[in-house]
Amino acid sequence: MPHVVKHAFVSIAAAGMAVAMASCQSVPQPAASQAAAAAATNIPRQPDGKPNLNGIWQTIGSAHWDLENHIARSGPVLELGAIAAVPAGMSVVEGDTIPYQEWASKKKQENYDNWLTLDPEVKCYLPGIPRATYMPFPFQILQSHNSDMVMAYEYASASRVIKMGPTEPPPVDTWMGQSTGKWEGDTLVVDTIGFNDRTWFDRAGNFHSEALHVVERFTPKTSDLIEYEATIEDPKVFTRPWKIRVPLYRRQDKNAQLLEFKCVEFVEEMMYGHLRKKTGKEKPFAAARMRWP
Amino acid sequence: MTTRTRLAIAGVAPVVLMAFVTVAGQNQPPEVKGSAPAAGWVQPRTPDGQPDIQGMWTNYTNTPFEVFDQSDRPDFYGGDIDGRGAGTGPNSFLNDMQGRKFTKGRALVVDPPSGRVPIMEWAEKQRDYRLLHIQDDWVNFTPWERCITRGVPGGIFPPGYGAGYQIVQGPGYVAIIYEMIHEARMIPVDGRPHLHSNVKLWNGDSRGRWEGNTLVVDVTNYNDKGNVATNVATQRVRSIPQSDQLHVVERFTRVDEKTINYEATIEDPKVFTAPWKVAMPMTLEPDYKMFEYACHEGNHAVPNTLSAGRAADKGTRAKTSQ
Repeated sequence: MPHVVKHAFVSIAAAGMAVAMASCQSVPQPAASQAAAAAATNIPRQPDGKPNLNGIWQTIGSAHWDLENHIARSGPVLELGAIAAVPAGMSVVEGDTIPYQEWASKKKQENYDNWLTLDPEVKCYLPGIPRATYMPFPFQILQSHNSDMVMAYEYASASRVIKMGPTEPPPVDTWMGQSTGKWEGDTLVVDTIGFNDRTWFDRAGNFHSEALHVVERFTPKTSDLIEYEATIEDPKVFTRPWKIRVPLYRRQDKNAQLLEFKCVEFVEEMMYGHLRKKTGKEKPFAAARMRWP
Repeated sequence: MTTRTRLAIAGVAPVVLMAFVTVAGQNQPPEVKGSAPAAGWVQPRTPDGQPDIQGMWTNYTNTPFEVFDQSDRPDFYGGDIDGRGAGTGPNSFLNDMQGRKFTKGRALVVDPPSGRVPIMEWAEKQRDYRLLHIQDDWVNFTPWERCITRGVPGGIFPPGYGAGYQIVQGPGYVAIIYEMIHEARMIPVDGRPHLHSNVKLWNGDSRGRWEGNTLVVDVTNYNDKGNVATNVATQRVRSIPQSDQLHVVERFTRVDEKTINYEATIEDPKVFTAPWKVAMPMTLEPDYKMFEYACHEGNHAVPNTLSAGRAADKGTRAKTSQ
């Protein structure tokens, strides 16, 4: 039962009991469920008994650079040296690798090789789901008093309203998808469809088609920790559905609040600079030397 | 500005369609009825006791922003700077009617009583410069056209299309989800103080509180890069700058099941000679569906307009008559 074993390990480790690893590896499924139930006694709850996920959350790690295993490497701009070098990271993908179809594996490599040209994040485009969750920015969950839930992301003013209830057909394809949610015990399950094919999963070129279907599970483990799992399904690109898992940590800063990362103004020079009327007063700056991959 | 430029803006712009439409207007008194609740209607409350103003609201209207004055230049304000009427003139696009019955009041500006915004002369000159030099640099576009933000309170000035606003309330927060141009505005209502004055934001720093059944939002900490209004329907006020002294107080009062009366008092001693106030209703439309407004992702208006300007510089296109 490799899946069950790993799941149990992640759950327990996330609850701060990593030392239990050795005993955990032989735990059968029923016990794992009991462990999950036991871990959920100290989470904040809404008046109706559902978990209270309100707050500002953020991942720690380098999944935004690459969902899969990656060693540290130099960044794309030589002058930035260590500052923009890419940190190493362990895969957040269950089973370590993404099950691409053969053509898609080649396409992923092309994306990686042409990262700066092709990554929608470079141009401040909307991040899509699940990428918005593990970008290096906080996001806020607002759980409403009636039903709908807001997830507001600091990056690019992206947001989504999760409508609680059955999945509905989306009116048009979108960058952020159309999300509907339901509770399974203490887990918020969010089903998202209606994507376009223009977002990526990370800065390593991992991609999908417009057939993408994402099912996310937000399971609170303590008042300050959510286990986040996303199942990614896209029959046009992958040979089977696959999963990622990252912990979401509550921002503890007393003054935590979402600020603005309205990055359009940071990319206008890059995107439109060649079209600006020259005044002769421009400040010259040395062209940065690019090196990628 | 060349016809091509105007068409370039019109064809793909996520932004320039903000209608200034007078069709179907029904001459009725001003729509805002004050903040007294309708007789027999009881303000619902959330489980933690806040007045419940949640729901999907819209603000389609045919009420002009200001009271018209003979000195106004609607074509110029609308981006049709030489008045030839081709392209994006303010009457070129229809409002998003969708079967709605529009009322038409005197003006959304209710104070001063003249219905005219007391704009300082320098600010009008800056607006004129930017409208005339829109082909030179993206900073001459409004932040809406640049797909950065419609601002606060500008984001609630009727955009003409995509005018959906979903209000969601949770513990300590009121969120307003703006359809145009996708903004999730998280307003704390837990009594916390404003940010330090050295934090400057496009949309300012919002702090809400309840006064009776009215949500009062105090907004400070603005940067000086935004515009107080961005849509063509705001006419003379469009592209007027905001300074770091801008201070806005918004009031959301639900007066019946289907109506929030919205008011914004705007003061900026660097830009306006006196405070002024906008008032308008927002209407509950539970079945309204928001569409994703991925603005920057489809913004051809900025590069196409600049490109036309550079072509004009080279003499390959006729220069603007200005």
